[in-house]
Amino acid sequence: MAYRSIRERRTRSILTVLGIAVGIAAIVSLMSVGYGMEEAITGELTGMADMISVVPGKITGTTYVELGSFTDRDVKDVQRIAGIKDITAMTYDAAEVEYRNKRAPIFILGGDTKELGSFYVDPVGIKEGRWLRENDFKGCVIGDLVANDFFDEVIHVNDKLIINGEKFVVVGVFEKASTMYAADVDPHIFFTLRASQEVLQTDEVKYIMVRVYDIDEAEEIAEEIKEAINDNHGLDDFAMAMTMGSMIEQIGDVFNIIRGVLVGIAAIALVVASIGIMNTMLMSVMERTHEIGVMKAIGAKSSDVLSLFLLESSMVSLVGGVVGCVVGVIVAKVISFGAGAALGIEMTAVVKPEVLLGGMAVAMVVGVLSGFYPARKASRMSPVEAVRYE
Amino acid sequence: MIHTEHLTKIYRMGDAEVHALRDVNLEIKEGEFIAIIGSSGSGKSTLLNMIGCLDTPTSGSVFIDNVDTASLNENELAEIRREKIGFIFQQFNLVHTLNAVENVALPMFFSGVKRERRLRRAGELLVNVGLGDRIYHKPSELSGGQQQRVAIARALSNDPEIVIGDEPTGNVDTETGNTIMDILESLNKEGRTVIVVTHDPEIAAHAGRTKSMRDGMVLD
Repeated sequence: MAYRSIRERRTRSILTVLGIAVGIAAIVSLMSVGYGMEEAITGELTGMADMISVVPGKITGTTYVELGSFTDRDVKDVQRIAGIKDITAMTYDAAEVEYRNKRAPIFILGGDTKELGSFYVDPVGIKEGRWLRENDFKGCVIGDLVANDFFDEVIHVNDKLIINGEKFVVVGVFEKASTMYAADVDPHIFFTLRASQEVLQTDEVKYIMVRVYDIDEAEEIAEEIKEAINDNHGLDDFAMAMTMGSMIEQIGDVFNIIRGVLVGIAAIALVVASIGIMNTMLMSVMERTHEIGVMKAIGAKSSDVLSLFLLESSMVSLVGGVVGCVVGVIVAKVISFGAGAALGIEMTAVVKPEVLLGGMAVAMVVGVLSGFYPARKASRMSPVEAVRYE
Repeated sequence: MIHTEHLTKIYRMGDAEVHALRDVNLEIKEGEFIAIIGSSGSGKSTLLNMIGCLDTPTSGSVFIDNVDTASLNENELAEIRREKIGFIFQQFNLVHTLNAVENVALPMFFSGVKRERRLRRAGELLVNVGLGDRIYHKPSELSGGQQQRVAIARALSNDPEIVIGDEPTGNVDTETGNTIMDILESLNKEGRTVIVVTHDPEIAAHAGRTKSMRDGMVLD
């Protein structure tokens, strides 16, 4: 009978189901997008967890202060440390770059082509042309920002750049990098170590990237690297060696904020959903006070009426919850895809079973409770009063 | 079978008190067909609601089979409404999402009669009121007279001893009204106590006894 009653009030029931579904969809989609975002970021970071970046300077407050540069001896000493898979020494400085009579200061990165390649080419990818070869003394590879944004005209392979007065040919253009690599790749021009040293008129090493075999040893190795370099320079904190692990720790605060925001959003969605569900349930039961009165007049006990309406509202809530979960998952996928595309990172919504279960639970509990209240009120009215209610 | 003692009902409307019933003492015997006649506002429907256990008195009592209904709790009152009394409303008050046979079966649903049995009995009752060809129609697909006959069938669902009609002919034309009164008469002949409220003397003429009401009082 509850089913018939639902079916007969098709429009009303569909609206009630929708009201519940929208609320649940909001919770499910927001939570799933949030989890997806978190996973995407940690995923990127753990993909780089075997890396240690070494810079000659320290972070004071929020700014990086460069204290000098590394020497060949530093590089060699670092190479000697056990447990290191590969190491790239890079020069790094700003240069004046000219393209079709427009000038811009751009940072230049030079290093061993093979090592540099293994750090950046594999994860980012080359869009046009090819990566540097050992003998590319007059060639360079540019990041996405350099190619598309820094000059009025887009730079392609075989275009010529004048860098600090010398002519170079673009042999390759990087793909747009994902968030984790964007700062390293997009705004830079890459050279062989020799070419960069020529252009920058220096043989200084400003940046050492190290990859370790065993991620668990990374912290220890980073410490050894720091000590070796500090010894060479006779300073206590000349070098800074950061593992991805410590970087993750440093941005842990950001994660906590994201998580807090997520919980907040979920809580708001929950409240909004609950109010929506309550409203639709209240309305749909209230408008049937007359029917409840009729049922009582022909001999229904209050408990009969109540269980009838509870059955009905739990059916509606169940359907609403299921629809809400399905819609929520779809919305989450669409949002994640859109956001991922916009941010240039791979992001898929993570639909956790506990979120779906939670959504269902909210639909059922809130739905049934908010159906219960008006049904109980109506079932307690005297039959005459309820019948008179139109 | 039914009698009232000093039955009084006062409605509060804001600050004003409306005395719908004033000290009503009425006795209805088993198997009687009684019509209560009075103009609107005379308190006749209120009296009927008291007798039908749909409403509770402000003071005084209604006795059904010598049981003071004021001493009964909610569920016991519901049981009386369900098993002992069949109520027919002026507005029919059918559940419009259910078809005729389901409406008739509804009181049996609340009595816990099995689905198959209650639908069969509901079908028979509809045949008895001349609606055998309309049992799957919705109330909205039936005329007023037909709806009232469904309501009568529903009132008989649990085979009650008492049938109460609150202006049962008020919303139908004269001819249908007569048909309905004929049905009520035949129910009385079967031995049921029938109580009807009306403002129409012609309708009241069907009853064996007539009582008039005015200003919440039963006139002798």
